[in-house]
Amino acid sequence: MEPLAVLMMAVFTVGYLVLAGADLGVGMVLPWLGRDQRERRLVIASFAPFFLGNEVWLVSAAGIAAGAFPGLEHRLLEGLYPLFVVLLVGWVVRDMGLWLRGRVDGVRWRGGCDGAVVAGSWLVALAWASVFGSVLFGGVGLNAGSVVGLPLAGLFVLHGAAFAGLRLTGAPAGRAGRFPGQYPATAAVLVAVPVVAGLRLPWSEMAAPGMGLSVTAVVAVVMLPLLVGAQALVWWTFRGRVRAPSYL
Amino acid sequence: MDPLMLARVQFGLTAGTHFLFVALTLGLATLVALVQTRAAVTGGAVHERMTRFWGQLYVINYAVGIVTGLVMEFQFGLNWGGMTKVTGGVFGAPLAMETIVAFFVESTFLGLWIFGWDRLNRWVHLALIWVVTLTAYLSAYFVLVANGWLQRPVGYEMRDGVARLTDLGALLTNPPAVLAFFHVLFGGLLTAGLFMAGVSGYHLLRRTAEVEFFRRSMRIGLLTLILSVFPAVAFGGMQFQYTQPTKSGSASRMASMVADFTARFGPDEYRAPALAAVGEALMMTAWTLMLVLALVALVKFPFGRWLERGRVFHVVVMLAVPLPYVAMLSGWVFREVGRQPWMVFGVLKTRDALSEVGAGRITASFVAFAVLFGVLFVVNAWLLVRFARRGPEGARLGGAPPVEASSALTPTF
Repeated sequence: MEPLAVLMMAVFTVGYLVLAGADLGVGMVLPWLGRDQRERRLVIASFAPFFLGNEVWLVSAAGIAAGAFPGLEHRLLEGLYPLFVVLLVGWVVRDMGLWLRGRVDGVRWRGGCDGAVVAGSWLVALAWASVFGSVLFGGVGLNAGSVVGLPLAGLFVLHGAAFAGLRLTGAPAGRAGRFPGQYPATAAVLVAVPVVAGLRLPWSEMAAPGMGLSVTAVVAVVMLPLLVGAQALVWWTFRGRVRAPSYL
Repeated sequence: MDPLMLARVQFGLTAGTHFLFVALTLGLATLVALVQTRAAVTGGAVHERMTRFWGQLYVINYAVGIVTGLVMEFQFGLNWGGMTKVTGGVFGAPLAMETIVAFFVESTFLGLWIFGWDRLNRWVHLALIWVVTLTAYLSAYFVLVANGWLQRPVGYEMRDGVARLTDLGALLTNPPAVLAFFHVLFGGLLTAGLFMAGVSGYHLLRRTAEVEFFRRSMRIGLLTLILSVFPAVAFGGMQFQYTQPTKSGSASRMASMVADFTARFGPDEYRAPALAAVGEALMMTAWTLMLVLALVALVKFPFGRWLERGRVFHVVVMLAVPLPYVAMLSGWVFREVGRQPWMVFGVLKTRDALSEVGAGRITASFVAFAVLFGVLFVVNAWLLVRFARRGPEGARLGGAPPVEASSALTPTF
């Protein structure tokens, strides 16, 4: 059962990084892609219908960690405590910027929310880069890799720009096109990084004793087709390029 | 302050903020789904507008529930590493199921419901809100399974100082989890019912143009209150037989359990803190006031005109909106503070559940999240009031007309 649980951990982590990595990246380059507030709203519309469905991959990955690998929670969250606090703060700031942006009709309000989206996206991306650096470097807790890994945040920028290029039209799409990298390529790197990092972790030592691991793994395997189906429905519904602002 | 207290207060604040918003989310999702069903079946314009208006308030409210929930999930690993280490093998399983079986689907379909307005077939769109509602309940159930295990650990064995899950069925049918789920379900309906009635009371009192809209909403809100007030207390009362003897019940049972704990775990204050009893009293007071209001509502309910005009009643209903919130939060204080000094009752003490990360880190994260959630609470409460006062014309949910892919070639600025 343990390899199956590790596989599910990988699927949900990779799912998060590839899908949410794109909307994080768009958030990071929001000021460059959209030159005024109307353009920025359009840029946000490129991922607006997806971001709720994207971040749940991480929520589920954390859930699988809690159920199947409590040691991983212990090792990463407790060991890399400051990084995960930054990640969570960034996540909350970013999400609230997205949710609140359209709630009040005011230039300064929208400007503040755009700022929250950009700052939050950078915080989350830098925190992930540092987490991957720390794990790839092989130590427990903060280490040299926590700093060396920071440039990995650039991956999210490229991935986001590639995604925006596929989703947008007109001037913002043109600006997105100036970033190097194609979506499949940046996605492949975002798959490779966590897989390599995961190979460095001692999974057996972190596994839940008793049947907790099996229950979690089986539930994840059984649910996965349904979850992918639900997400596919979202992707299909919003498959067209963005030409008008959305609810956010 | 000592790190243990900071970590406890941080969790209390996070869970408290989370629950303030989640309570309304649970109930309001149900009412929005029912109204949308009516709109889909009859094609009535007023129900369509009601769906958008109450749906808008539901979505504003939902956003805070999500972000505080995220922080809660990670806080177990961040601040309560000792719990993860000793009992993570049991406690983690319901959390995993919550994320995979419930929240993943709920969040994905909520996005589709919000952004897919006017793009999807009316029945598909209706099905989405029902899936969102049912998965929200499923989510609450799994979270309460995790919480119920802290109150009354079952289905596990300790081996080498670590808890192992041995009986999934016992974990999932633990009475403090199942009964608490129904207690919370009806508590959420009470919250949403009074919220809907209170907002309607404001508009009827102000004699805004939307008389029919808010008379109907008032009736839905009051009916929800009337139907939920007794089940809420019944499912609460049924839990007392499973309540820890150190919290309430006979003095002799308490004394024998304290003696047992002292023998096994050394001397400690095993009786529940006095704050727990304060929570219990406050919860029951709030419930009694809601019961009185429900009885008045029952008398007035059949008379639509009376609901439109009773100005004193409008004010009373508006003032009653906080009651379910008071009952909920004090109920949680009763439940959680009353469990102390245990994290997992009779298994792991709270002080042994704390992460070994040092006071500095715990303090820094406490300050960061306290400030962040303070701001979120104020901003979102303000927005809820603002959109509620603005009325149906101000609802933007589903307001943007869909743009056909074929029509425009450039972005419509």
